[in-house]
Amino acid sequence: MPIYLYLDRATAIHRIHPTVKVFAIFAVFWSVYWVDHPLALLPIGLLLMAAAQFTGAWPNFYRLRWLFIMVVFFTTLAWMVFYRVGKPLMVIWPIYVSRASLTFGLGRGLKLAELLATSVLFLSTTKVEEFAVGLSSLGVPYRAGFAITLAFRLVPLFIDSALTVVQAQRLRGHDFDRGGPFERIKRYVPVMVPVFMGALRKANNMAMALEARGFGKNHRPTSFIGYPVQLSDLCSFAIMGALGVGYFLIYYLGYGAINAG
Amino acid sequence: MKSDAEIQSNDRVPGSDARHSAVAVEDVSFTYHGGERPALRGITFEQAAGEMIGIMGESGAGKSTLAKCLNYIIPGFEDGEFRGVVRIGSRPLADTRVCDVAPMVGMVFQDFEAQLFSTNVAHEVAFAMEQIGMERAEMAARIAAALEAVGLAGFERRDPTSLSGGEKQRLAIASVMALRPSVIVLDEPTTDLDPEGKAEVFALIRRLRAQGISMIVIEHEAEELRDCDRILILHQGEIIADDPPHRVMTRLELLERCGIHPGDLNRLLARVGISAHARSVADAEALIRKALHLAADGEGCRRVLAERAPAARTGPSAEVPRPPASPAVLAPPLVEIEGLTHVYAEGARALDGVNLTISAGEFLAIIGQNGSGKTTLAKHIVGLLRATEGRVLLGGRDRERLAAAETAREVGYVFQNPDNQIFAATVEEEVAFGPRNFGLVADEVERRCARVLRAVGLDHARERDPFLLGKGERQRLAVAAVLALEPRLLILDEPTTGLDYREQRRMMELVSELHRAGTAIVIITHTPWLVAEYAQRAVLMRAGKKLFDGQVRELFAEPELLASSSFRAPEVTALGRRFGVTALSVEELASWLEAAR
Repeated sequence: MPIYLYLDRATAIHRIHPTVKVFAIFAVFWSVYWVDHPLALLPIGLLLMAAAQFTGAWPNFYRLRWLFIMVVFFTTLAWMVFYRVGKPLMVIWPIYVSRASLTFGLGRGLKLAELLATSVLFLSTTKVEEFAVGLSSLGVPYRAGFAITLAFRLVPLFIDSALTVVQAQRLRGHDFDRGGPFERIKRYVPVMVPVFMGALRKANNMAMALEARGFGKNHRPTSFIGYPVQLSDLCSFAIMGALGVGYFLIYYLGYGAINAG
Repeated sequence: MKSDAEIQSNDRVPGSDARHSAVAVEDVSFTYHGGERPALRGITFEQAAGEMIGIMGESGAGKSTLAKCLNYIIPGFEDGEFRGVVRIGSRPLADTRVCDVAPMVGMVFQDFEAQLFSTNVAHEVAFAMEQIGMERAEMAARIAAALEAVGLAGFERRDPTSLSGGEKQRLAIASVMALRPSVIVLDEPTTDLDPEGKAEVFALIRRLRAQGISMIVIEHEAEELRDCDRILILHQGEIIADDPPHRVMTRLELLERCGIHPGDLNRLLARVGISAHARSVADAEALIRKALHLAADGEGCRRVLAERAPAARTGPSAEVPRPPASPAVLAPPLVEIEGLTHVYAEGARALDGVNLTISAGEFLAIIGQNGSGKTTLAKHIVGLLRATEGRVLLGGRDRERLAAAETAREVGYVFQNPDNQIFAATVEEEVAFGPRNFGLVADEVERRCARVLRAVGLDHARERDPFLLGKGERQRLAVAAVLALEPRLLILDEPTTGLDYREQRRMMELVSELHRAGTAIVIITHTPWLVAEYAQRAVLMRAGKKLFDGQVRELFAEPELLASSSFRAPEVTALGRRFGVTALSVEELASWLEAAR
């Protein structure tokens, strides 16, 4: 299975300037932040689905389908426990089902799912090298930007390594699912120790290899790929800016919230 | 691909300067922070521009430490006490940074996964050039030249993680070549590669040397370093030999003492009383024919050998008796695999209708190129994967219906990397982990720990921290931890990777001992001599299919079949075939040749 999400396609979204893509993430996060109602979140959801279709990113969403389902389901459920507002339709302690709690929970679940979907779309269409360029052009120091992008590269490797360790310990009869919550956490020690030690070793090897390839020689390294700003970048920037302004206005004018009554 | 001459004229290293040595190491010593003894002691040598030096020695001899001194990782990155001077050209490496040395000395590490950072091949090669601030147009030209030189032109947009091991290592070399350093250091660059990947990398090393780049190659196998100008042997941090290959490689006792595989050809020559160095199989053949007065005509020689050495029959079907298999071979199958197909989530067909039977007491080697389905097959046997089609029976019972404990009693699996399972505070605790998980009483756990630690030669280290053991000891500990479950079948995935020759031998003697004691063995390996000398039966995999299943000798009598699967027979087997016999070890061929003398 490929360990990274990037899909090498030649779509217009793939070609957008990395700085605009980083700005677009910010704009979507900003827009989602201001509204709670699922209907207000729906246009952003549709926009993300259209982008997934256009960029051919559905395989990545399929890979992460259970994560999306769990995020929406458990967030909705959790808020029906804590958001005990409105006339109850049904109460199965501790779950309080009312029109308001259901709408609020669903809205929160959709919010998280949209944040996740935005990140998946970004990683499906943006190489980590472009991400580093985007961060750098927004003023993030090169070393810090590189460290952030390196984390994106390493996390899948560590997950892969953890899965191997889980397999190795299962074969020695280790049962990860026995006992209560604390006992279960303790039962992951035989996984955490090898993964942690392996991560330290890999990080050390990688740091050595980076320096041996000249990392740190210049504070502002050059870039192999040029990113000239195109008209399409300006248009994308304007559209995403308008999205952010639009959602702030929706909030400012009193829409997008959930009526507790 | 460019010819060597073209490369020489266009890409010759600008920094190389005939007035100075490419590398000069003067009285270098280094002790790691917290180290009990120096890792290097008084190392002194020079390398002429364009020279190729091989460095050999047992694990812990100081090879990698020396390599790190050459690009200032020591003392620039690693903590410790450093003395002496390293010069690259005329420039001494002092008060500088590792990144400043990168344009002069390229370093290729053993762990190719840790040195690839980028999302496509072109970006990977560009990385170092970006770091030194090179102009874009120059970068594009150098990327094209470097990829052309390593045979990866056309791979620019490929994700490095999707490349084979050999391709990844060639990419790592391209990425250091792009800076056009005057010296390239390769630290065990072929450790995890299949024979084809290994051959690719060494072919590239020879081409780079032809360009005039000074090469330093660290390697365990003497065979691979025959083309070097000089070989240095390190032992406990000191250089104990510095000579051309023909001198070093005939000092068999020294090589074995230093944990170095001495190479089949010179061992054979010595066994039949010829004091010479063979640069190739053809060379060895000529020397033997001359010394033993064997006819040059292949048919004649076959006849002579067949007449004078009755054991050495000819042809692919020739079956020379191996040591008798244990009686358990006749027992009912331990594993039956029927029409096994495995398709991974992204659609890759890793196994395609494989049928296989493994009987109790067998010693089976599964071989094939990287990605041929060997590990997937093994993971099905132990129940780590679910079949897309087909089924696996353990002792006649469907494996998918067996509980984990039942499977563990039937089959044990030792992962390639021992560090994937080691976590406990002491060696004994590590071994006791499995038996305790299966609810065995304390006395029985104690009994098993004592038995398996004795078997793997770690009974003296019961209270030691496993993370402080050497790689060979950790590998043996991983075997012990699985053995403590007392499985009837033990599967070992590349158990000798990263070990020096002495440790490889020790590991294989341990496995052989377990086999003699009645445990069935399945070993997955890329190392031809291990298969030839230890396995009874071999399964050759290619693209998820079983290509061959039979006696090892039959397999090694089919060089075309092996080549089609990126595998090759040991050199002694290739040499034997020139005399019309399929020999599996130096001792075997030597005894036949002696008889035919």
